[in-house]
Amino acid sequence: MTDRLGSGWGSRIDRSRRFDFRFEGRAIAAHPGDTLASALAAQGEWVLSRSFKYHRPRGVMTMAGQDANTLVQVGDEPNVRADLRPAAEGLEVSPVNVLGSLKRDSGRIIDHLGRFLPVGFYYRTFFGPTRGSWEKLWEPIIRRSAGLGVVSLDPTPRTYHKATRHCDVMVVGAGPSGLSAALAASAKGAQVMLVEREPELGGALTYARFDIDRTEAEAQLQDLRARVLADPNIECLLGATCNGRFEDNWLPILQGDTLIRVRARDLVIATGAHEQPAIFRNNDLPGVMLSSAAQRLMRHYAVRPGRRAVVLAAHRDGYLTAFDLQDAGVEVALIVDPEGRDGDGFNAECQRRRIPVLRGATIESARGGLHVDRVTIREGSGTIRHEACDLVAVAGGYTPGYQLALHAGAKLTSDAEGLTFALTGLPAHVHVCGAAQGLSNLSAVIDSGAQAGLRAVTGAADETPAAVPGWRRAPRLVPHKQGRDFVDFDEDLQAKDIVNAVADGYRELELVKRYSTVGMGPSQGRHSALATARLVAGQTGRTLGEVGVTTSRPPFGPEKLGLLADTTPERERHTPLHGEHLSAGAKMQPVGAWWRPFLYRGNESVAEGVTREIRLVREGAAMLDVSTLGKLDLRGPDAAEFLDRFYTMAHAKQPVGRVRYCLALNEMGSILDDGVAYRIAPEHFYVTATTGAVERVFAEMMLKKTIWGLRVDIQNVTPTFGAINVTGPQTRAVLERLAGDVDLSREGFGFLDGRTGHLAGVPVRIMRIGFTGELSYEIHAPQSQTVALWRALRAAGATPYGLEASRILRLEKGHIIIGQDTDALTTPDELGMSWALSGKKPFYVGRQAVAMRRAIGQARKLCGFTLPDRSDLGESALVMKGGQPVGHVTSFGFSLTLDRWIGMAYAAPEDAVPGQSLRLRRFTGGEVEAKVVPLPFYDPENTRQEL
Amino acid sequence: MPFNLLKYGLRSGHEPFRDIPATPDLKASYDVVIIGGGGHGLAAAYYLSHVHGITNIAVLEKGYLAGGNTARNTTTIRSNYLTPPSIAFYKEGVELYETLSQELGFNIMFSQRGQLTLAHSDGAMRSFRLRAEMGKHMGTRIEVVDPKTVREICPQVHMDEGGRHEVLGGLWHEDAATARHDAVAWGYAKRAAERGVEIHQRTEVTGMAVSGDRVTEIRTNRGTIRAGQVLQAAGGLNGQIAALAGIALPIRCFPLQAMVTQPLKPFLDILLSSSDLHTYLVQSSRGEIVIGGGTDPYQLASTRSTLPQKEALATGALQLMPFLHNVKLLRQWAGITDITPDFSPIMGASALQNYWLDAGWGTWGFKATAVAGKRLAETIATGRVPAILQPFALERFDRFALLNEMGATAAGH
Amino acid sequence: MKLMTCPMNGPRSIAEFQWLGAVQPDDDPQGGALVERLFFAPNLLGVLREWWRHTPTNTVFIAERHLTTNEILRTYFHNAGTDSTAGAAQ
Repeated sequence: MTDRLGSGWGSRIDRSRRFDFRFEGRAIAAHPGDTLASALAAQGEWVLSRSFKYHRPRGVMTMAGQDANTLVQVGDEPNVRADLRPAAEGLEVSPVNVLGSLKRDSGRIIDHLGRFLPVGFYYRTFFGPTRGSWEKLWEPIIRRSAGLGVVSLDPTPRTYHKATRHCDVMVVGAGPSGLSAALAASAKGAQVMLVEREPELGGALTYARFDIDRTEAEAQLQDLRARVLADPNIECLLGATCNGRFEDNWLPILQGDTLIRVRARDLVIATGAHEQPAIFRNNDLPGVMLSSAAQRLMRHYAVRPGRRAVVLAAHRDGYLTAFDLQDAGVEVALIVDPEGRDGDGFNAECQRRRIPVLRGATIESARGGLHVDRVTIREGSGTIRHEACDLVAVAGGYTPGYQLALHAGAKLTSDAEGLTFALTGLPAHVHVCGAAQGLSNLSAVIDSGAQAGLRAVTGAADETPAAVPGWRRAPRLVPHKQGRDFVDFDEDLQAKDIVNAVADGYRELELVKRYSTVGMGPSQGRHSALATARLVAGQTGRTLGEVGVTTSRPPFGPEKLGLLADTTPERERHTPLHGEHLSAGAKMQPVGAWWRPFLYRGNESVAEGVTREIRLVREGAAMLDVSTLGKLDLRGPDAAEFLDRFYTMAHAKQPVGRVRYCLALNEMGSILDDGVAYRIAPEHFYVTATTGAVERVFAEMMLKKTIWGLRVDIQNVTPTFGAINVTGPQTRAVLERLAGDVDLSREGFGFLDGRTGHLAGVPVRIMRIGFTGELSYEIHAPQSQTVALWRALRAAGATPYGLEASRILRLEKGHIIIGQDTDALTTPDELGMSWALSGKKPFYVGRQAVAMRRAIGQARKLCGFTLPDRSDLGESALVMKGGQPVGHVTSFGFSLTLDRWIGMAYAAPEDAVPGQSLRLRRFTGGEVEAKVVPLPFYDPENTRQEL
Repeated sequence: MPFNLLKYGLRSGHEPFRDIPATPDLKASYDVVIIGGGGHGLAAAYYLSHVHGITNIAVLEKGYLAGGNTARNTTTIRSNYLTPPSIAFYKEGVELYETLSQELGFNIMFSQRGQLTLAHSDGAMRSFRLRAEMGKHMGTRIEVVDPKTVREICPQVHMDEGGRHEVLGGLWHEDAATARHDAVAWGYAKRAAERGVEIHQRTEVTGMAVSGDRVTEIRTNRGTIRAGQVLQAAGGLNGQIAALAGIALPIRCFPLQAMVTQPLKPFLDILLSSSDLHTYLVQSSRGEIVIGGGTDPYQLASTRSTLPQKEALATGALQLMPFLHNVKLLRQWAGITDITPDFSPIMGASALQNYWLDAGWGTWGFKATAVAGKRLAETIATGRVPAILQPFALERFDRFALLNEMGATAAGH
Repeated sequence: MKLMTCPMNGPRSIAEFQWLGAVQPDDDPQGGALVERLFFAPNLLGVLREWWRHTPTNTVFIAERHLTTNEILRTYFHNAGTDSTAGAAQ
């Protein structure tokens, strides 16, 4: 049953209601407002997990979600922080990294073998006796013991949300300094967002004592909270974590299943401080916790942290915690104060309360099985003393909440002893206040917040803050001779591990981290960084300043991949004819962002379907949806001049009403893209680009237009127009069945002509071009009327065909596909396309490079080849010469028309000549000889397309 | 339990392993000065001292040992490239790694798990086929696999049947591996130091004196030294270091970001990547899922991280493995890649007679650590560039003899 | 979000912009000068003048950006002189 403190404690729980959840199969009672850990503690369940390496029992340490001790599995969600996650009815909670049960963990044996496992031990061994021993023998063993939580391969789906927000001032942390910063900024008219990790405003004011008399803290809490809540300019986000600071104050805020990305003009970091543990033997036993954790348990959840406490007071907060404990009815057996004098002036109060204080003393070790049951204390005189207790509250001092400031480029500096800290080198528009600035006195904290809030509005830069002691008495940092004095709880690293790492030659802090893995675990060095730096400084004879304290990278705390991933479906593009294809039974295929019809298939096989569609094109009238083509509209007095520079052919003298092939090169003389340009009017060209390249071509055009300063307006009209290529010997007859004002006759509309007019009542731009080698008309129409045109064409006798047939048809005609038959280095010469390079123009992009590369000589050339059978070849098969690959097959397929296999391949230039032969390497090995033939394979006289 | 751990445990106290000696004072002169104490520089020092008997060597490192891209990469070792020169080079790299733990007496945790690259488009399948054909010809273990085999190799992959990213097949590269990046550098450092190689940390090169066609002096923040031969292997700073010697390199820097999740019990045994999604995933021996992808979209020489790249990597990872949505990210970071116009490294001679280059690694320097170190050591010791390095010469750009690896930049560093 | 100030549209998220590379002289180099231009692009640890495009509005302009700090010092139109200064985030 739950053991709770009386009224006056437990500000966050609603005792009027109760529910159960399950932990390792046991029912655990909880109140609304409880976290998993507080409810467990209330029921005497102090062991929450087993440690990473030694399987030692671990329990509550910070009660603030800052350590890995409380990681549990909740249902199928791994690595949930039990001290943050609200308890909820019916949750199935289980411990992680347990072999057997939490209380009887067979992995515990590793703890006793620890002496055989020195720091970095895995570098020394496990790689013998033979090559492969690591992978086959040792790695599987070590891998089995790796990791904490178990990932479910079939977890409950979850919906995550993203939001984007803007504000003038973002205040992170709603403790006393954050609250006052928000109020000060708001008072100057700023729109303020205030983010707080806890479910309520107040920060340390909600649990800490600040002084012998808590009334001041309580009064400030009520006052600041009420004013903030009443302020319409302050928006409070509770239970929300600012998980990083990116350039220009781009801040990810995690709140439940929502990622709120906030762009803040100014950022106030009021993240408080991280209380530090102390280093002594068995400092990881359940029942040993930070003083603030004990305070949180009592104030927030009315949980009794123990019955008999020893308090380590390396900071004044230890005394204040002792007073809290006593007020809650916990017997305070002893305060152990490492300093020899009454530095805080609490002597009288301790006497009044009859709390014994041992000065100049340290805790040497704790003892216990699954929970601490006594501590060993070394007095200043050297005398050893034992004290029975079930709670050790450790006030080990603080480091600032430095993470966000470090993300912003600041440095965390400290004095030589590691007693005082400062965050320096903050960029503009980032401000630090309160305990994050090193302050601890309540009025100074509140005041610093107000100043930071003001600076965030006025734009004044932060001054380097005065160094304020965080640690007035450095606790001794001498490794215990029997070890188990943990510096890093996540990674099970003891003080001697750090010392030994330095001795092994890893004398830089970063090397110590990498060698020992200190700070690499889920708590990211919050509790280990300072102790490690002090140990390294001590071992290398350097100051802490020379060693450095720590670095930090986002994220601050764990963030789910689901929160980060894009929640909106990826953009998919449908042509205006998408619905037509679906209703015609087309099998669709993704091509980049587009979906295109692969084949219109009835009951036949794929091969039969493709054959049927090819026949249709070669014998009848067929049509292909080519709406995905890039379409660019260029208008202006310099439009022709622009094309002359951008493409390799001549456009200045291109007659109106004519269509010309376009080939674009990059500066290196390699092929960028191709298409056609239809001169609609003297100052108006309609240009196509390949589906995948149009965005790039358009951007490149805009850049060149700017550089060249030409008078041309360029629009990317790709989505504006649908396009249908109607092809086949019967095409003219089909088109002539449609009403229109365009002369479609051979005499009136020749090959490579372009016309603008109407067809079936639809305004159209028609070009006599095609990919198939047959009589073709490519008709572009406004996207809103493309369906009407398509239906009219169908009614007139044109039958749709798909991409697969199109690929064969274009191959038969020897047309290249950019990106398939070309790569990043392909030159026009290699494709035998020198005809496309205007010799008369003084300039086009890539001209000089083409000339230079031509002078150097070419290493390969694209050619056509045929084979009587498939020969286990395909696209990407190698072209061999003297046993070495000299090229590869870029396109390959069976030509129905020619009744043989045809392909294009890169080969040595001397072999890429009709009449020669190529040696092709089969996929299953061995070579086969193929005959080089002239391109195109189909209708070399071009009579059919010019019908 | 291995014998040496038993021996260690039964001894009282820690007898230090002394892997990396403390930085000594600089001498006036060295036979070889290596600029850059990352994996490559340390490997070169090792092979010079162990294979070629040259031991009067100083390795100069601006920061801490192997703290640049050696420390920041995602430890992929593979040889599934497109062109024969690259495949030959990286194949030798993989082979050296296979026995490196034994050679160094230091466990680099080489783990040959195989890499599966997924294809979601015809274009990717075509490119994989070409890589497989080239790789088979060159004698590497690589093959194109169908969707059924993809499922057998990695049952957790989301196949997205009928979707935009349907898995059409994959490229299975059985030689691919991972290794512990730091250990590689430390192992080389330890063994090089045993032969007398000096490793100078916190030693920044600030200038050079060039006389005729030789570098004569190297100035550092700790003093000036003379060098017989110089090797520069300075990672993201290669362009700047070369400029100190008056050499222009065709290099631009782009950040490359990666991230890791909290440790989880192992479930992913292979290296998994997708070229179309620009994402790759690998589970480390600690249980963390390492997630990486492509470089940032604009030039920058900074190791700052960004939120958009993190979001993009998470999106790619969840497309491949939607069940990871509950898994929590622990850390993100970045390295500075030095990228050349053909995404291939520059190794060998410079315009100066005694100045050798090891630069332009872009996103794949780690896998070349052993082979680049070994072959550049050979180059320096003999004064001749071995055939395997010749295609990577700086002067290839003058001849437009670029390596056709541009298609190989897809994710999977 | 990192902000970039488009000379046409004011400060916008960097995600709306496309990087188009370093500003080069508008000439037509040959031979060695061409090789230099093509392959030996500037790789400063200082301020780079570079082309950017605001994609939603298709606006091409020049930015001066520091390649180690990523600070955008100025953005302006080509041939617009130097007075249309616009800084980074405010």
